[in-house]
Amino acid sequence: MMRIIDEKEPALLKRAVRGDEQAFLVLYQKHQAPLYRYALRMTGSPWAAEEVVQEVFLLLIREPEKFQPDRGELGAFLFGVTRNRVMKHLERSPREDSLDEINANGTAWREPEDPLTPMMIAEKSERIEQVREAVLDLPTEFREAVVLCELEEMSYEEAARACGCPVGTIRSRLHRGRALLLAKLELLRDAPRRASAGAR
Amino acid sequence: MMKCEEFGLLGLDMDRADALPEDAAAAAQHAAGCPRCSALLESWRELKQDLRILHESTRLESAPARVEMRLKQELRTRREARLSRRTARVAAWVLAAAAALAAVVGWAHWQKATPTGTGTSEISAIPQASPDRTEPVLLAADYDTGDFTQLPASMPTASSDQAILQARVQRGALMQFGLPVAPEQVADWVDVDFLVGEDGQPLAVRVHQDSQSEAVTQ
Repeated sequence: MMRIIDEKEPALLKRAVRGDEQAFLVLYQKHQAPLYRYALRMTGSPWAAEEVVQEVFLLLIREPEKFQPDRGELGAFLFGVTRNRVMKHLERSPREDSLDEINANGTAWREPEDPLTPMMIAEKSERIEQVREAVLDLPTEFREAVVLCELEEMSYEEAARACGCPVGTIRSRLHRGRALLLAKLELLRDAPRRASAGAR
Repeated sequence: MMKCEEFGLLGLDMDRADALPEDAAAAAQHAAGCPRCSALLESWRELKQDLRILHESTRLESAPARVEMRLKQELRTRREARLSRRTARVAAWVLAAAAALAAVVGWAHWQKATPTGTGTSEISAIPQASPDRTEPVLLAADYDTGDFTQLPASMPTASSDQAILQARVQRGALMQFGLPVAPEQVADWVDVDFLVGEDGQPLAVRVHQDSQSEAVTQ
């Protein structure tokens, strides 16, 4: 197994296409999680993300010649394919599911462990849910910039490469995305304050 | 000195790892003196904290195991299909080779069995049917083809390398040389002389009169 992991990706892909399951699994395990997370954060649907990841790897199995090692790394190729599939999905069915559904593994979205009171946990959970909703409500290109630069913590250069656009475009999209997020969340957080002030 | 507009573009990046140090310093200096930008930075830091929590909460998310199973199944299906395709290809080649071999063997047998190689063998086969003579007798040619009847498929030649082959055959056997035979005489035995060319092919045939009359008397 160690020997397989050490092999270069194009060699592993060749073996995988010839039917070497181990070689394929090495590639799959290495790339599937970031692709899944990206698809999940962009679509908000675990089902859609699962479908996208499956399609991406099926394409790799069925049409491996589409990946050309001289044009870039396998990770970049897979991300490009994932991105295309996600965009197609968003065109077909914009925002159909909420991220707080039970995910495909049967587990709910995990909250980080925190020694807070139940009240504080509930508040925090609500806030995270608001952020999640706000991110999903962003227009696609701004959402993508926020997902890549803020959630995936990519640098501007990496995000620009992934999206196939100049760094300036990413900066500008991120700027707009942040502004929209802030405005939306300010509005959401001020609403209860205004309501309680009005009640008094 | 950074202005509010510039802060809106660059200021929120000041906490990023890839922010330029001089931009970060200028943004911090501006925020310290501008309550509006300071409030914006504060709001952003709160949001950034929430985004970090969101990131943490989904950091370990990965595709469910069933995706891996489906992909493995696809790999296996493709491998089996490729294997059966290869088997079919090998079988096709084996069949083709067997057919070619059978054709070659058949041709070789046919070559051996068909009397086209030499006239001698063709004609020698005819007398074997005779109950009286088993071996044809090859006589020296006297260059006289007087009573011989030219066979339809042969060409008249003036070669000196001709021979006369005597045989006793059933009259029906003469049909294969293109000679007309009455149906009621097919089974009659007759003595014939074949004039054989240098290539072994029969050129002409002569039926002995005595055997003809013998057949008639019988």
